[in-house]
Amino acid sequence: MQPEDLSRLLAPKLGDRLRGVEPFVGTAGRVLFDRAGALDLFRAVHDELGFTHLSMVGGIDWVDHREVFYVVWSDAARQYAILSTDVPADDPRVESASPVWPSANWHERETWEMVDVTFDHHPDIRHLLMPDGYTFHPLLRSFKLHEPEELEVKTRHV
Amino acid sequence: MGRLTAAATELPVPKPSAVAAAVAPLAAIPVLQEPGVPFIEIEALRAKEFIPAAKEALSSMIAEQGQSKLIRPMFNWASRNSLFPLHWGLACCAIEFAAAFGARWDAERFGVVPRSSPRQCDLLIVNGTVTWKVAHKLITLYEQMPEPKWVIAMGNCATGGGPFRTAYSVVPGVDKLVPVDVYIAGCPPRPEALLDGILRLEQLIRERKE
Repeated sequence: MQPEDLSRLLAPKLGDRLRGVEPFVGTAGRVLFDRAGALDLFRAVHDELGFTHLSMVGGIDWVDHREVFYVVWSDAARQYAILSTDVPADDPRVESASPVWPSANWHERETWEMVDVTFDHHPDIRHLLMPDGYTFHPLLRSFKLHEPEELEVKTRHV
Repeated sequence: MGRLTAAATELPVPKPSAVAAAVAPLAAIPVLQEPGVPFIEIEALRAKEFIPAAKEALSSMIAEQGQSKLIRPMFNWASRNSLFPLHWGLACCAIEFAAAFGARWDAERFGVVPRSSPRQCDLLIVNGTVTWKVAHKLITLYEQMPEPKWVIAMGNCATGGGPFRTAYSVVPGVDKLVPVDVYIAGCPPRPEALLDGILRLEQLIRERKE
């Protein structure tokens, strides 16, 4: 499967919410989409293109905006594909992929606590790697490494 | 005490005079005159005679010398020779921890036997990086251990956070959470260092007064 195939198959489903498909080394392509069409894209990619396995979800803080990406795998095509969307930094919000790929649950919990992207309609949004009550998002560029004592005061007895 | 009793029953029947001397009132039992060394010289006694005599001798010694002076060294002796650490590995120090109990270093010759339940332990060896996520579990395990209990911070991570000291997820030293008795440096410490730490802890317990 080539980027042109992805573009041809997804364009009727998404319309202008599909921003483009670019080549990406080792994968079938990198699909850039608008977050308004997230759930439609997930269903199309899962049900019709056959990418039935969600390998990982991640987030990147690009300071002026944040990027959320999904790496999916197709057993039939034996290929990866990357789905990527940009969300504004002042409203980091995207639809959860958990209804389509249940394995997105924990990945989205991690993405939320690390780069502070809210996943709408997530079934169980809780801290995954950090203790409950932890108020920081450590992989944001604005996060400063704390002096240990300062961090201790802020996270003890939570 | 049990061994003494068993041996006494197997002895041939002593002469009547010896039995009479042995079951005589406690003042008649000869006590070695070395100061501060409790010692009862008990000759051949039958079991039913030995137990009340020993009880009486012990109680009189306690009355003379004070309870803590006699009992505390015995408790300390028992405690330091049967340190049971919790079988709980956190990171790479746990590999050295495991090696210390293997055939080559064999920490069990010091009476140190890892147990799997905190209810059976009196020593918590924190061997590895403690994250904030696991911090409250560590505190729970520590609180589940019965008194008296001791803590060894093994390795640089448990001592002060190690290379991850400023990381967002790592406790900078386990003494922020539980009181630590012995710190062992190293990344990771060799099993000899762990054994040395255990022996130093035994020295601490030997000097314990309270």
